Amino acid sequence: MRVEYINPFVEAAFNILKEVLASDVHRGELYLKSTATPVMGVAAIVGLAGDVEGRVLFDMDKPTALKIASAMNGEELKSLDELVRATITELANMITAQAVTKLHDLGFKFDLTPPAIFTGENMEIHDSDVEALIVPMETACGKIEINVAIRERA
Amino acid sequence: MAQTETATQSAEARKTSGDKIDFKMITFSLAGKEYGIDIMSVKEIAKAGRFTYVPNAAPFVRGVYNLRGDIISVIDLRTFFHLPAERKEEDALESLLILRIDEHVFGVIVDGIDKVVAISSAGIQPPHPIFGDINVKFIKGIVENSGKLYIILDAAMIFAPSKAAEEAVHAEKPKVVPPVLVEPAREERAAPLAQAGEDVGASFVRESLAALKGFHITDLNELWFQRRYSEWRVVRKNEVQIREPSDAETFLEDFWSPSSGMLLSPDFADSLERILPGNESKTLNVWNPGCGKGYETWSLAVILRRRYPDSRVKIWANDSDLLAISMAPNMVFPDKVPDYYAEYMTTGRNGQTFIQHIRDSIFFEFHDILNTNSLPPLDIVVCRDLLSLLAPVDQRRLLDDFSDKLKPAGILVLGSNEVPGSGWRSAGSGAVSAFCKE
Repeated sequence: MRVEYINPFVEAAFNILKEVLASDVHRGELYLKSTATPVMGVAAIVGLAGDVEGRVLFDMDKPTALKIASAMNGEELKSLDELVRATITELANMITAQAVTKLHDLGFKFDLTPPAIFTGENMEIHDSDVEALIVPMETACGKIEINVAIRERA
Repeated sequence: MAQTETATQSAEARKTSGDKIDFKMITFSLAGKEYGIDIMSVKEIAKAGRFTYVPNAAPFVRGVYNLRGDIISVIDLRTFFHLPAERKEEDALESLLILRIDEHVFGVIVDGIDKVVAISSAGIQPPHPIFGDINVKFIKGIVENSGKLYIILDAAMIFAPSKAAEEAVHAEKPKVVPPVLVEPAREERAAPLAQAGEDVGASFVRESLAALKGFHITDLNELWFQRRYSEWRVVRKNEVQIREPSDAETFLEDFWSPSSGMLLSPDFADSLERILPGNESKTLNVWNPGCGKGYETWSLAVILRRRYPDSRVKIWANDSDLLAISMAPNMVFPDKVPDYYAEYMTTGRNGQTFIQHIRDSIFFEFHDILNTNSLPPLDIVVCRDLLSLLAPVDQRRLLDDFSDKLKPAGILVLGSNEVPGSGWRSAGSGAVSAFCKE
């Protein structure tokens, strides 16, 4: 993955999470992964197209998703309902959109697909031939892993 | 109860739908092993002999054959894969598979044709790189059917007159010895085993280098190691052992290629520029794995710009060290740079940077070379001193990867003390250790 793409995603994730959760956020060590990625329970995915092809996956476990949705909506949410899903989807959209805006300012043209959300247990995601950059984010609500896999269009 | 039954039924239904028969293959044998080939590419099967010999054809071409008025060429698959073939009588009939690939019809000689087997394509497993006898790129997969394992060959890959297949054939050529003999030899090469007759000290040094510095002695750098070790013995007298990382560093001191971690010296750049072959194509694809902080890549971009002023150069430079590679795209030189590079730089507030044209030719990527490398066909690979720091199996795998990705006239540049082994011929001079595919 091009070096120029890394920072916009890390910064956007950091800024947005800090803003919506109104609490401290810590970034873990970045690393690369190319094997199947287990999904923790709730995963929002945004596709990217344009100069590049790829996707960004926001992965967290169910309690974290509930806590984040509660914090963002300002009310206690207990089950993974429509509102929680919509909130997490929106979070994914906000972070990706800000990253893409930053990239646009640097001269890279990306388009987004509408986000989709996956929930369930024991899920894995396989991308053939693309290695993913993992950006772990520790928040007061729990851990979110942002999994960015982008490659240049051949 | 009823519910349980439905559940079982639906489970069964799912199982059968998963096992749907959607792939038929003709099975045949080569040197005692079972193979399969997609029935869609098989036109018919036949017994034939007395092929008309064609002079100057590749050794695996047995000749041409008149198939009811159509002249087809006949290929001996056993010779093609360097498998033992029994010599038959002059008049004896051979088992022939007549294949149709696109517009071309071929006859293919095999040991024996067995039957048609119908399987589910979901049951086809991907080929394993250590299959041995047959180059893995010709194998579509492996499947099990009634207790037998069939290796499914990729007919299109074998017979397509494409470059890929041609290259593959070239890559296979040096192996004239039966593969059975080649395989163990390969392993010996890969493992950092003590050479016969070598003193014990040397094998300890090999192990220490691997343990302390992740530096692996294989065929890649064996020549250097032999020379360095004899020097080392003279200098260190009784203290040949490497106990501390600092000892290992001293031992490796003269391994590293010139100008590591800085812009390539004008001398080196000049010799590299001189060995690069002419190139008519409009674009030039270059791969620079393990570029570290990026000095090598920037130098390379300038060298290529000088050598190929009319081509569009694209360099993919990658490293798995995030800190090093993050700095690479915005490199600033506060001090004076050699004149060789000066004309491609502009002066900014903090020092000199490379001009936009040079910047645009490089993609710096955070990438681990041990993961899948997806790159277009390449003209040049520059990979200095990286392979020696990888495990022997990975060294082998990457050299194969380079060979796959390089175009037929492509150039591989390794570290000054590295050689890639069989399948490559030297194309470098002086400190530039460059190679072409054979």
